[in-house]
Amino acid sequence: MNELLRAEGISKTYLDSGREVMAVQDVSLHIGEGECLGVVGESGSGKSTLGRLLLALERPEQGNIKFQGVSFADLRGKALHSLRRHIQVVFQDPTASLNQRLPVWRSVMEPLDNFPEVTPPFLADVRHSRRESAARLLEMVGLSREHLDRYPHELSGGQRQRVAIARGVSLNPKLLICDEPTSSLDVSVQAQILKLLKHLQTRLGMACLFISHDIAAVRMICDRIIVMKDGRIVDEFASRRIMGEDRHAYTRLLIRAAE
Amino acid sequence: MTRQLLNPKESGNRTEGEQRTLPPFQETSSSRTTPVLRLNGLTVQIQQGRRITPIVGDASFTIHPGETLALVGESGSGKSVTAGAILGLLPPSMRVTAGQIVFQGEDIAPWPVKKRRILCGGRIGYVFQDYQGSFTPFIKIGKQMIETIRSHRRLSAKQAKAVALESLDQVGLPAERVFDSYPFQLSGGQLQRAALASTMVLRPAILIADEPTTALDVLTGERVLDVMDRLKRQTGCAVLFISHDLRLVLKRADSVAVMRGGSIVEWGRTNAIRDHARHPYTQMLLKARPSLSEIQAGLVREDEDELVVACKMGGSA
Repeated sequence: MNELLRAEGISKTYLDSGREVMAVQDVSLHIGEGECLGVVGESGSGKSTLGRLLLALERPEQGNIKFQGVSFADLRGKALHSLRRHIQVVFQDPTASLNQRLPVWRSVMEPLDNFPEVTPPFLADVRHSRRESAARLLEMVGLSREHLDRYPHELSGGQRQRVAIARGVSLNPKLLICDEPTSSLDVSVQAQILKLLKHLQTRLGMACLFISHDIAAVRMICDRIIVMKDGRIVDEFASRRIMGEDRHAYTRLLIRAAE
Repeated sequence: MTRQLLNPKESGNRTEGEQRTLPPFQETSSSRTTPVLRLNGLTVQIQQGRRITPIVGDASFTIHPGETLALVGESGSGKSVTAGAILGLLPPSMRVTAGQIVFQGEDIAPWPVKKRRILCGGRIGYVFQDYQGSFTPFIKIGKQMIETIRSHRRLSAKQAKAVALESLDQVGLPAERVFDSYPFQLSGGQLQRAALASTMVLRPAILIADEPTTALDVLTGERVLDVMDRLKRQTGCAVLFISHDLRLVLKRADSVAVMRGGSIVEWGRTNAIRDHARHPYTQMLLKARPSLSEIQAGLVREDEDELVVACKMGGSA
């Protein structure tokens, strides 16, 4: 498996009412091509900040992140723009991530409109038409053509998250970062969204960074798992080794709660 | 031996290692204890303009002292409306149109608002998901607790303070400090425990906990539920635990009622629901959130057919 992304000793601090808070402390990780890496932790563990650093939405104060061997720090302007094509994101709250005033097909097409030169293989025959491309993307996430002209408020939470996923995969990214993608959904819908993500990840061969507080969900779809606490990585293991003898005490607590 | 196995009462009591001996399920136990709460065909309707729609239909269940009944359902199932009906806190557009709410032997559904209000927060305690809303923002926790206590009990301010401190201590909080804190100075888990202390201080016969841990972290939530269990054992009160998470309540409840579209589709002892769920909806909820060991044992298959079904369902979900 070729390495896609590597972070070395990255740290990030925030000012919280005048006090410095280390959100991410000396974190190193790597993600292989087509690999699904899970990041588990509770709120305040720094997992979402880590996601934002890997999306290059923020820059680490220390350490270095490389994508396919190229350091984030060297990227400006056009190069940064083309990085965004390869790293896309799905956030927790689809209501906030979709424009309420646009029919969903326009939201779905936004990334492709930003990269007119990109034609993903699954859109090869329809890329000339924006509506046809959007329809194809909606079908890929289990929605249909009839949803094209709906507005976000006319869809259920699960359907909105499917739209956000359609947008996330539209550029055929090499890495999809999912930050708590199922946390605001009903249990039965959560399972469907997890299955959909796993299916797309396998089918498109993209790598996935799956950030969640739900260790059972992470176990279900990830190959490898990182556990974060207070901004640090405290445990790292292959998914199937989750019950292993060498698990960190904190991981065991999370596992016990998920039984 | 066979006779014993067939008799649920005896085999139930023989389970060792269980900390609580539970009243057997349903009417078999009516001879032993009066239920704290019995819903009998509860029906709630909502009026929007001229349209009247039922949102809870013919809901029935029974909770005995010391028992935790979990009411489980997804958003829009009517579980919170059921809680609202029991507490007498329904919004003006909703009305109980049929059925009984029998609290300690008496149907409270027809009671006037004023009489209900005394019950609610006193003999019927409650905590909600929104722990921020449990306290008024700019008044110290202690002052609010004293006010609650003195509005239900005839105690001096000094006596009330002593009771409040003891109650905070019982939920594992640093009593003096929390008593002197404003709500915003506490974390979510601390606030929810303070809310528990504040409602349990009046020794309710039943505690209604509506998604008490949904807004909290997993481990913080576990600690809150541990405290809730301990208080239940110490005081012998009953708990109506409302949650969207069937897996979570299986660990905590004695019996489970599953709600969907305003109706209770299945009601049974926790073990029976876990191992022999009869209703397809209950089975689906269990399957949607397999336990870690089930995932680990490979019981959950990534079935392609199933995925296609899931995708299709997405169109209507």
